[in-house]
Amino acid sequence: MRRKCILLCEVLVLCSLTVGCSSLGVKPWQRELLSRQDMQPDGNGLDDAIDDHMYFSKEASSGGRSFGGGGCGCN
Amino acid sequence: MQLGPDPSSVRRRLIAASCALLSSSAARGEQGSVTDKIGRMVEDWKIQSALAYYREDGRIQAIEPVISAVRDLSDGGRLTLNFTFDSLSGSSPNGALPNHNPQTFASPSARSLAAARHLYTVAPGRLPVDPNYSDARVAGGVDWTLPLSRLTRLSVGGKFSYEDDFYSATANAGVEHDFNDKNTTVSLSVSSENDFLQPIGGAPTPRSDYALFEKGGHETKRGQGLLLGLTQVMTRNWLSEVNLSLDRFSGYLTDPYKLVSVIDGAGDPVGYVYENRPDSRTRRSVYLENRVGWTRASAGLALRYMTDTWGIHSDTAQLRLRWWNAGRDQYFEPSVRWYRQSAADFYRPWIAPNAAQETYLSADSRLAAFHALTYGLKYGIKLTDRLGGFGRGGTEFNVRLEYYQQTIQNGPAAPGALQGLDLYPSLKAVLLQIGFDY
Amino acid sequence: MRRIREFGLLFAFACAPGVCAQAGQPSELDVLRGRVVYLDFWASWCEPCRRSFPWMQQLKRSYEAQGLTVIAVNLDRDRADAESFLRRFKPDFQIRFDPTGQWAEQFELRGMPTSIVIDRRGVVRFTHVGFRTDDGPAYTRQVEELLAEH
Repeated sequence: MRRKCILLCEVLVLCSLTVGCSSLGVKPWQRELLSRQDMQPDGNGLDDAIDDHMYFSKEASSGGRSFGGGGCGCN
Repeated sequence: MQLGPDPSSVRRRLIAASCALLSSSAARGEQGSVTDKIGRMVEDWKIQSALAYYREDGRIQAIEPVISAVRDLSDGGRLTLNFTFDSLSGSSPNGALPNHNPQTFASPSARSLAAARHLYTVAPGRLPVDPNYSDARVAGGVDWTLPLSRLTRLSVGGKFSYEDDFYSATANAGVEHDFNDKNTTVSLSVSSENDFLQPIGGAPTPRSDYALFEKGGHETKRGQGLLLGLTQVMTRNWLSEVNLSLDRFSGYLTDPYKLVSVIDGAGDPVGYVYENRPDSRTRRSVYLENRVGWTRASAGLALRYMTDTWGIHSDTAQLRLRWWNAGRDQYFEPSVRWYRQSAADFYRPWIAPNAAQETYLSADSRLAAFHALTYGLKYGIKLTDRLGGFGRGGTEFNVRLEYYQQTIQNGPAAPGALQGLDLYPSLKAVLLQIGFDY
Repeated sequence: MRRIREFGLLFAFACAPGVCAQAGQPSELDVLRGRVVYLDFWASWCEPCRRSFPWMQQLKRSYEAQGLTVIAVNLDRDRADAESFLRRFKPDFQIRFDPTGQWAEQFELRGMPTSIVIDRRGVVRFTHVGFRTDDGPAYTRQVEELLAEH
């Protein structure tokens, strides 16, 4: 059952990639909140790294997080 | 028209210093003192540092300083360096079950039960832990992002980890591309890990009788990972992210120090065997994160669903809230994390003497079915404003406290005499961290 | 051709009510006619924008006498954030404020920062999206090229 859920999630994500999300989003000059550190995907700084190390030593799951996107969208 | 800076003005000196930094010509001419030069160099880097103290109730404690430095490069790329040092000590569970009678074990460095100085005895009713556990670890990583075009970036990186019984090296590479005026970002990355294990005393023959001390030499394991990410700006206040990952591990995946108690029908231990895990593991996970923000507050919810070929599946949910004061120079950030996992197919808190047909078995609580809760609170205060206004500027001091509790699901009813004992004690831990961001 | 539309926009922009000029600046129309205009759109939260300021400052000082006008349009929604930044850096080129993004919309900006370089006849000649310090010298050469035209 769980494997089916995860497979469904994967299919949905791939579909949304192909369809594109062109209707969503903001103009380049409207990213003042998104540029703030706590609003970025990697915005929790060292906390995530320290927590991940703690959870890795106590639990069977790890990782899954990533980087890119969001932020000020500059350059 | 005078084009040079007026040295008496702080502002002009700042601008001149910035120009000197930005100019690609090496003919600086500006003589600045050593402290000026160091000051300018550090000015380019954003440094985050933290010191974490972790303590489990009656078990392990650890001190961990971490430092990370990021520099934005003149071509629009980025360089990240990080370094961690870990010092652990205390008592680590060895996988055996508690018993009404005292139990004696030998530390991993022992070659037989006759060498008294390597032995430790566990009191009746207590969870067997090796009280001499101590480890020091050094780890570091580098990551370099270079722009291939305005909308595409390539990242390459590597990291290493070194302890006296384990070395690990990982290489990773990834590509990111932006669409829709950078509202959508797609990323794909791959990683490859190689680990070399040299267990203290040698790697024991899997599933072998503990008392025989059949130990060999070193082992290796490998891992490959694939991560597909999609980040989408939903509104001015809302960012959404989904990541799919696939990891595969192969090689020596067993914990060389963990045992499984062999318990007879009356509940008495007749011996112990070393654990044995399969030599491959494939894991898939879906990670979803949403962050919403306003002028003085933000909230983030992260969810992760994982499943693997060992029969473990887990759910994680973490909520973080941040509130700033009116002056926006101090914040509080409470957080809560809920975690649940199922047991590995081969998880066995103990085995019966005749369980000869079980190839894979482990009593490691990391592979058991449990749920865990973490409560956290962080406080931060901005000491100086590096550049003014929004964004990543300024120096910050912060402190964070977390409380973690893991409750193991009770396994099958223990035979006989063990019934009165707490065979699956919960784990409680506290993390205290102070940090400084420059 | 973008000439009339862009130059017309510039004039309208300069003269539009509610778009504040820094005190003591000469009249907009006199400044823009016959000059090369480096029109930059920035915001205090945009890191590459902040990095471009010292370079724009140097550009203004080096080429103002030859006919360059630098105008930096701020797009911060909250004016206080922009002013907090400007108080520290005190640039001496002209600053305009467009908190509602009206002009950003009109110029169809694709990224932050965006600089639009307009020649002496009012034609948009170069548009730069984003700022990397490595690109500074190339942008400077473009300005020199336009200043050389009459």
